[in-house]
Amino acid sequence: MMLIAGTIPNKDIPLTLGQVKLEEGFLVADGQCFSRIQGTGAMINAALATINHLKLEPPQVLVVGDIGDGKGSRELYSYLIDNIDELSPDVFVMHYCLPIMALMKQLCKAIENSKKRPFMIADAGAMYAAKGAGLASEFDIMTPDPSEIAFLADPKATHPAYIAEHLFKCDSSKIPEQIAAAFENGSAAKLLLVKGKTDYIASDGSILKTVKEPDVSTLEAIGGTGDTITGLVSAFVYAGLKPQEAAIVAAKTNRMAGKFAQPTPATKVGQIIDQFPAVFEKYLCEWSEVCYK
Amino acid sequence: MAFKEKGVAFKGDGIIIFQDVSQAIQVEKVIKGAGYEVKLIAPPPELRMGCDLALEINLVESTGIERLMKEKDAACVGIFPLMKGTAELCEIVKITDYGQWTMVKAGNMKIAFDKGSGMIVNISGGGCPDIPYLHAEMVDKKLTEAPRPKDLGYTLCAVMLDLALEECLNLWNEGNN
Repeated sequence: MMLIAGTIPNKDIPLTLGQVKLEEGFLVADGQCFSRIQGTGAMINAALATINHLKLEPPQVLVVGDIGDGKGSRELYSYLIDNIDELSPDVFVMHYCLPIMALMKQLCKAIENSKKRPFMIADAGAMYAAKGAGLASEFDIMTPDPSEIAFLADPKATHPAYIAEHLFKCDSSKIPEQIAAAFENGSAAKLLLVKGKTDYIASDGSILKTVKEPDVSTLEAIGGTGDTITGLVSAFVYAGLKPQEAAIVAAKTNRMAGKFAQPTPATKVGQIIDQFPAVFEKYLCEWSEVCYK
Repeated sequence: MAFKEKGVAFKGDGIIIFQDVSQAIQVEKVIKGAGYEVKLIAPPPELRMGCDLALEINLVESTGIERLMKEKDAACVGIFPLMKGTAELCEIVKITDYGQWTMVKAGNMKIAFDKGSGMIVNISGGGCPDIPYLHAEMVDKKLTEAPRPKDLGYTLCAVMLDLALEECLNLWNEGNN
């Protein structure tokens, strides 16, 4: 089973666990309806679109409303700490939430004590919390963008707002150095998929692969296009691809969907996700071993 | 010296420094009452201001805490990262020209707006839970009419988004004067 956990920007949504589906343009789990175009919703939407294409069991999602005060995030951590062993996911993805390092430590401890260790993926607030708590290497995949790889490379920073200026000022040519530094500091997951003008797939301090084409520079301005990569790589891992291959196919899919959508900076992420089925139909068999026509 | 509840080991990464001890005690009650994690501590030597009592907080929550203190008329000297050697808040912005649109990046946050209408067309980046909420509240509104992230948000991502909005407003005003 794949479990995706994260917050939703609607404080009226209670802690909700259930299998997710798409209905009339909204995501629905256990009777709760939420947007597919922001944060955790965009990531779930991307994962669901991929999983539906691959004809796999849809993911379970654990979501809760939080508009930033952290109340929902604390409920989310607490539920996971108490129940992760029983939930026993094969793939566990944690996304938007308040980065609370003390609770992330408790969660990682609970996972360590579980009967089964899931394949663990983190992005957004969960990635910040894991790095700040010194637990990034407990995760199997993280998906930082260029400012977030600078954050992972900065041994002192506990949030990307506090990265050293020299790291923020770096142009993209310095990303390989920052990747190496993140691994050296113990601030990286086992595999990093650094999303940007060039996507880098790196493990153990070494860059295994870069993906540069198609180059759709406007994707950087579109909110949620990083979240979709996280959803894609999670779904491909769940489908059985090796992490490195899952990351490569995720990066290619996101770029190609961007190209298909012919975006401007005003394009919304839902328009990119809507291109996934067409990209899968045309390219997935060529790019990977998971092929359903 | 540290004022700690025995057995409780809250490990926040931010610290609020006060001019006097009574302020620190008063604010601790206010912050705790609002549901934030907080602990009275002795500030590290490099942050001592003559008073040896401060509050440990989760730095990422500083925006919400600052607003709460303002509402309660509670003053402080400042909020700082607790880890020695931490850089100051990254206040550099980067601007990208997309023809009809401009994108401003501050830290991990980006805003794209239409040069002609001043409409915010996208917000990207960030990982804290107020960012998707601010996205919903700000996108498709004019720069001059959008709510300020510092007023609605709670986290450091919101601080960075506010910085990006400030720069967008500067560019917009320069272009229209």
